[in-house]
Amino acid sequence: MNSRFKIQNSKLIILILVMIYFSLFTLSDAYAMHLAEGILPFTWSLIWWALAIPFIGYGIWRLKVLSKDDLSFKPLVGLLAAVVFIISCMPVPVPTAGTCSHPAGTGITAIILGPAISALVASVALFIQALFLAHGGLSTLGANIVSMGVMGSLAGFIIFKILRSLRLNLMISGFFAGLLADWATYLMTSVELALGIRGDAPFLPLLTQIIVAFAPTQIPLGILEGFMTSGVVMLLYKKRPDLLMKMMVIKPSEVKG
Amino acid sequence: MEFFTEQFRKRHFLIEVDPRVKIVASVFTLLLVISYEGFLFPLIIIAGCTLLCLKMKVPFKVFIIRYSEPAFIAIVLILLKLFLSGSEVLFTLDMNIFTLTGYQDGLLNGLMLASRIMAAVSVIIVLGFSTPFTAIMAGLSWFKVPKTLIEITMFAYRYIFVLLEDAMVIYNAQKNRLGYSSITRGINSFSTLTGSLILKAFEHSQKTTIAMVQRGYDGNIPFIKHKPFKHLEIAISVLFMITLGALWRI
Repeated sequence: MNSRFKIQNSKLIILILVMIYFSLFTLSDAYAMHLAEGILPFTWSLIWWALAIPFIGYGIWRLKVLSKDDLSFKPLVGLLAAVVFIISCMPVPVPTAGTCSHPAGTGITAIILGPAISALVASVALFIQALFLAHGGLSTLGANIVSMGVMGSLAGFIIFKILRSLRLNLMISGFFAGLLADWATYLMTSVELALGIRGDAPFLPLLTQIIVAFAPTQIPLGILEGFMTSGVVMLLYKKRPDLLMKMMVIKPSEVKG
Repeated sequence: MEFFTEQFRKRHFLIEVDPRVKIVASVFTLLLVISYEGFLFPLIIIAGCTLLCLKMKVPFKVFIIRYSEPAFIAIVLILLKLFLSGSEVLFTLDMNIFTLTGYQDGLLNGLMLASRIMAAVSVIIVLGFSTPFTAIMAGLSWFKVPKTLIEITMFAYRYIFVLLEDAMVIYNAQKNRLGYSSITRGINSFSTLTGSLILKAFEHSQKTTIAMVQRGYDGNIPFIKHKPFKHLEIAISVLFMITLGALWRI
């Protein structure tokens, strides 16, 4: 009788994922956006750093070019990095997981500053978090920059530009920019984690397990980040449309009155 | 946020050590930790770093908070490896409706990964508690990290505390007016809070630039000139790294 109900070991993955889900997402804040210090082996740390450096370099070059015309640009980028740091430290309730997580903030910085400088902003915020809050890490900073700074910013920026070119309004474009920036970060982090910890195990099954394990928090969090980004863009549009014009987010013809 | 490392740093023997020496020693240790395959070396690092934290009088509560997140991740990874990877069966639990199998090699891999995480985090915690932020930035500038990157990191660090105060005022005002009483209101309030912080960032950047230009700012911030290296510090750090290298090879 017992044997009839016995499940094969391979099917236990579901059970273990449920266990991991409950242990990860119902006991504490989910820090799914950052890979912890030391989690990646030396080779993968090096590879992600090597991938991140050209983007940081390009961001620095863009910032230098823009700072030549406007001296306030460097302080502005620094201050926006402080804003990203603060909002990524703030717990946001995730209803489906019954816990708190935090937004990445890259969607909004990608819209305002463009993907290159947004990646730079994320790098600075991640560096300070790694060093002084032990969130993320220095050996995993390259990987975290690639997932949150590069992939998040690129996804947010590209979708915002595509939707704006299709004449969708700021609110909807902002929503999808925030949503996809968050989900792109989540998917990239899952890829990095699977590659880093797999050892001899096959890559795709492990990746699927990680994606499934993070999904209950990250899917609703992405939607929340979408609403947040949309709300921020609309607030800036209502209060200071001149700033959005200055950052070339909107055209002068789009400003009422 | 109230446990930001900077607020708990006290005067101790490591504060006086040249930040460049501490950066090199920390990065070297970190590289050894993440390239090690085993338990012994990470455990030595964890023990050493814990002793250093005690010596630096890091408050116990802060110490626990710093370690709690990586420790939690480490435990989950041990479970993940124990049940999901490996070939040598360590135990089988017959739970009536299913069989739970733990693998010996999976457990060993998980423990190795966990010890690596805890050791790497320990190194960064010691660096954070032993070196002021401005000193780390000055040290990085000596290592030719791009000046622009250091400048914006310094701006970010300086304004985190200013903007955090603004954020707390707005957040408390929103909370007192039931701004987070439902999901919809919560999202609206959080968007307003973030938007307000971005507007404040624009305002502060304008004001800061004007103030700095009046004091001769031309787009570049001058950095602290580095003191010459102390021979004793160099000798001790070289000895420290050779010892670590020898332990790593065991």
